Amino acid sequence: MMYARPSRLSRRHVLVGLLGSLGGLLVPLRKARSAGALPEKLVPLIREATGGVTPQVGRVTLTLPTLAESGHSVRLRVRVESPMTPQAYVKRIHIFSEKNPRPVIARFSLGPRAGRAEVHTRIRLAGTQQVVAVAIMNDGTAWMARAEVVVTAAACVEGS
Amino acid sequence: MKQIVNISRRSFLLRSAVVGGGLLLEVTLPKSSVAEAEQASAQAETSPEVTAWVLIRPDDTIIIRVARVEMGQGSFTGLPMLVAEELGCDWSKVRAEYASTSEHLRRNRIFQTMLTGGSRSIRDSQEYLRTAGAAARLMLTTAAARRWGVPGTECVAENSLITHTPTQRQVSFGVVAAEAATLDIPENPPLKDPADWTLLGQPAQRFDIPDKVTGKTAFAIDTRLPGMVYAAIAQCPVFGGSLKSADAKKIADMRGVVKLVPLEDAVVVVARESWWNAQQALRALPIEWDFGEHSQVSSDSILEFLREGIQLEKAPVSRQQGDIDSAFSSAATTIEADYYAPYLEHATMEPQNCTVLYTDQRVEVWAPAQNSEATAAVTAETADVPVSRVEVHKVHLGGGFGRRGMHIEFVRQAVRVAKTMPGTPVQLIWSREEDIQHGRYRPVALVRMRAALDAAGEPTAWTVRQAEQSIFSEVRPHLIRDGVDIVGVRTFADAPYAFPNMHMEYAMRNTHVPPGPWRAVAHTHNPFFRESFIDELAHAAGQDPYQFRRTLLQTPQASKDLAILDAVAEAAGWDSPLPEGVHRGIAVQDSYGSYTAAVIEAAVNGEGELTIHRVVIGIDCGSVANPDSVRAQLEGSVVYGLTAALYGEITIKEGRVEQSNFHDYRMMRIAEMPTVEVILKPTGGFWGGAGEPGMAPLAPALCNAIFAATGKRIRSLPLKNHDVRPA
Repeated sequence: MMYARPSRLSRRHVLVGLLGSLGGLLVPLRKARSAGALPEKLVPLIREATGGVTPQVGRVTLTLPTLAESGHSVRLRVRVESPMTPQAYVKRIHIFSEKNPRPVIARFSLGPRAGRAEVHTRIRLAGTQQVVAVAIMNDGTAWMARAEVVVTAAACVEGS
Repeated sequence: MKQIVNISRRSFLLRSAVVGGGLLLEVTLPKSSVAEAEQASAQAETSPEVTAWVLIRPDDTIIIRVARVEMGQGSFTGLPMLVAEELGCDWSKVRAEYASTSEHLRRNRIFQTMLTGGSRSIRDSQEYLRTAGAAARLMLTTAAARRWGVPGTECVAENSLITHTPTQRQVSFGVVAAEAATLDIPENPPLKDPADWTLLGQPAQRFDIPDKVTGKTAFAIDTRLPGMVYAAIAQCPVFGGSLKSADAKKIADMRGVVKLVPLEDAVVVVARESWWNAQQALRALPIEWDFGEHSQVSSDSILEFLREGIQLEKAPVSRQQGDIDSAFSSAATTIEADYYAPYLEHATMEPQNCTVLYTDQRVEVWAPAQNSEATAAVTAETADVPVSRVEVHKVHLGGGFGRRGMHIEFVRQAVRVAKTMPGTPVQLIWSREEDIQHGRYRPVALVRMRAALDAAGEPTAWTVRQAEQSIFSEVRPHLIRDGVDIVGVRTFADAPYAFPNMHMEYAMRNTHVPPGPWRAVAHTHNPFFRESFIDELAHAAGQDPYQFRRTLLQTPQASKDLAILDAVAEAAGWDSPLPEGVHRGIAVQDSYGSYTAAVIEAAVNGEGELTIHRVVIGIDCGSVANPDSVRAQLEGSVVYGLTAALYGEITIKEGRVEQSNFHDYRMMRIAEMPTVEVILKPTGGFWGGAGEPGMAPLAPALCNAIFAATGKRIRSLPLKNHDVRPA
C-alpha cells in the first residue's frame, strides 16, 4: 500500500517491537527509583525461562539509556561474559519488562558459533521502569542484570 | 573561560537604527556553563535553597524555580504563583528561574517532569508546587521559632515576614532562610483553603513580557557563541525519501563555506560568519534525491484513501450504546453529512533550530524544545554519550503549539553535525520553507455522521465513522487500543450529548505525511465536525441551536458543558437582536479537563465576503492561577483557531508539501481580528488546562454563524476554498 509510512526500523527491530508493548498501560512519571527489588510479577516468568534455576547477579552487562526521549524506540545492548566455545557458551538471553503489557520483550537463542555473546536491538517501553536481562548458559546456570530507564513523557497527549 | 555572547536580534536592529552611523551593539555577556556553575555555587552560599523549588537571599529576594518552559502561555509566571501563594511571600520580591535539566537528573528528577504540553503545566504541577511552597513556609517559621525559642505554632508567615503572634516580634524570610534550609522538608504540610488565596486567582503581570517587548529575550535562535558556525539544511522534499548525492565541489569556493554534512534524508551546509552564507551555498548546491515510493501521492489521492475508509464495511468501534438500527428504521428524519479537515502546520514564529557545542567532556545544547529532558535524552543518544555529560540550556520558546514536544529531529540533526566538529559550536536553523514543508502536521480527517430524529424532532440516534490519520500509531503505540487511536476519537467517543443510541467507528488511514500533535490535537477538527453537525440537527428539528444543545446536555455528567454554554450564551446576549446582516453561531466542547463554549457574530455580504465581528468565548477550567494568562490563552486561541478556519491548509502534490511560507500559508491579519470577549467561569474543585481548550469551539461557532447568515453549510475547512470566504 503506497500510504504506509516508510519504516526506518530494521526487521529485527520490528520483530522485537512486536514482542514488546503494543497495547495498554500508561505509566505516570514518578521519581526514578534506585534499582530496588526484582519486580514481583517477573519472578515466575524468569523462573520459567531458566527452568527453575535462580539467576545470580553478574556476568551480564545490560546497557540502556538512563533517560529515554520516548519509549517507542530505546537502544538496548546485552553482553555476557562467555568464551562462546562448544564447552562454555550462552544458550539464551531473555529480556523482561516490569511495566510493558507484554512483559517478555525478547528472547535470543545463541550458540558457540555466534562468536560473541552480545546482542543489540531497540525495544519499546511503556514508561519509566526496570528492565531485566537473564542469560542462560549451557551448563544450566543463569545470570542476570537489571537497569532502570526513565522515559520522558510526551507533550499534548497522555491521558489528556 | 568560554564566553557566550548573546546579542538580542531586536536590540541589535533597534540600536543600529537609533545610532545610525556608529554601530553600537548592546551585548549581554551571558553565562558560559562554567560561569553558570560558578555563579550557581556563589549563589548557593548567598541564596540558601530552602527546598529545591525555593531559594531565598538575605535581601529577601525569592527565587522560584520553573521546570516547564515558557512558550508564550504564561506558566513562567503562573507556576511560581502556585509556590508563592503557600509560601506567604512578598510577590514583588519573587524572581522566576529555570530549573536546570542536568541538576534535575543528577538529583533524581527532583523537579518531577520538565515537559510542557497537553495544557498540563499548571494542572499537573499545582499540587506539588503548592506543597513545596507550604513546606518552605513551615521550615521558615520553624527556623524563626527556634531562634526565638518559642513554639512554631505561634509563628505565622505573611508577605515575607514571620511574626511571633503573642509578642509581635518579626523577622524577614531572608534572615532565617539559611537556618530553614538545614531543616528536614515536611512531607504533608497543610495547604490553604482556596477561599483564603490572596495571590492565586488574581491577575499578575507576567515575568516574561517586558523583555519580550523590549527585545531583550534571547531565544534559542539568538544564541551566539565565540567561533560559532552556522548550518542550513535541505531535507528530502518527499517524505520518506533519501539523499542520493550532493556535489560539495560546486559550493566549495562560496563565501564562508566550511563543509557539507550528508544525512540519510537531508544535507547540511556549514558556513562561517552567518547563517545566510550557509543558506546561499545550500541553494547553489546540486542535490539529487531518491524520492522513494511516495512521489505520486497528492491531496486528491489522500482524499480518495480517506473515502475508502468511510466506505469500509467494518471499522474498529470507538463507542456503542443502544440499538442504532431500530432507531433509524423508526426515524421521521435522517440527516447524513460528510466533513473534512486538511493538514495543518504549526508555523511557530521561531523556526526549528538548535545550537550544539560538542567537546570531549560534554555536549551543550540550546534548543527551542518543549521537554528539556527529552532534549537531553536525544542529545545523549545521538552523540553516544552518557546523559550526565549533556547540558541543556533552557530558553523561552518562540512558540511551540505541539510542534516541538515529541518531534525534535532538529536536535538530532544539529548534534550529528556538531559531532563532526568537536570544539566548534554549530547553530542549525531551518529556513521558514523547511519548517513549513517538514512539519509534523495536524492529520487530515474525513468523517461521516448520521443522525435520526423522531416525529417530534427529538434526536434518537447518532453514528460516526472517522477516517483519519493516527498521530500515535507510530510514536505512542500504547495509545492505540483495538485499532482505535484513543486520542483521535475524543470529542465523539466522550461526547456529553445524551443520544439514546450511538455507534461510532474509527478507520485508521495513515499516509506518508508525518502527523503530529497540533495545538488541541483531536480537539481542533473533531469539534468542528461534531458541533457543526449538531447545528444541522437543530435546524432539521426546527429548533434554536442553543436550546437544542441544552436539551441534549441535561445529564449530570454534562452539567459543566451546559453551564459554560449558558454562561457564554448569556454574555453574548444570544436572544438579543443583532444589527442587520449579522448572525450568530454557537458551539461547546470539553477538552484537557476544561469546558469551553463560544458564540461568534459574523456577516456575509452579497459577494460572499465574510466579516467576523465579535467572538465571545468562555472557559471553566476549575481553578485559575493567573487569570490574565488564561484570558491571553483564549485570545491567542482566537487568532490561532480562526487562522486555521479561514486559511489553514497544507496540500500535497507529488508527495511533498505545496505551501512554503506565510504568503501561501497565511495567518489572520490584524484588520480581520474581531472583538474578543473572554468569560472566565472557574467553578472550583478541579484544575483544567487553558492552552488548548480555547481552540475547540471556534471553527464550528464561526461556520454555524455563516450558516445562519447564508443558509450554506460549511462542511470542509478552510473557508478560503468556499464561496463564503474572508473579505
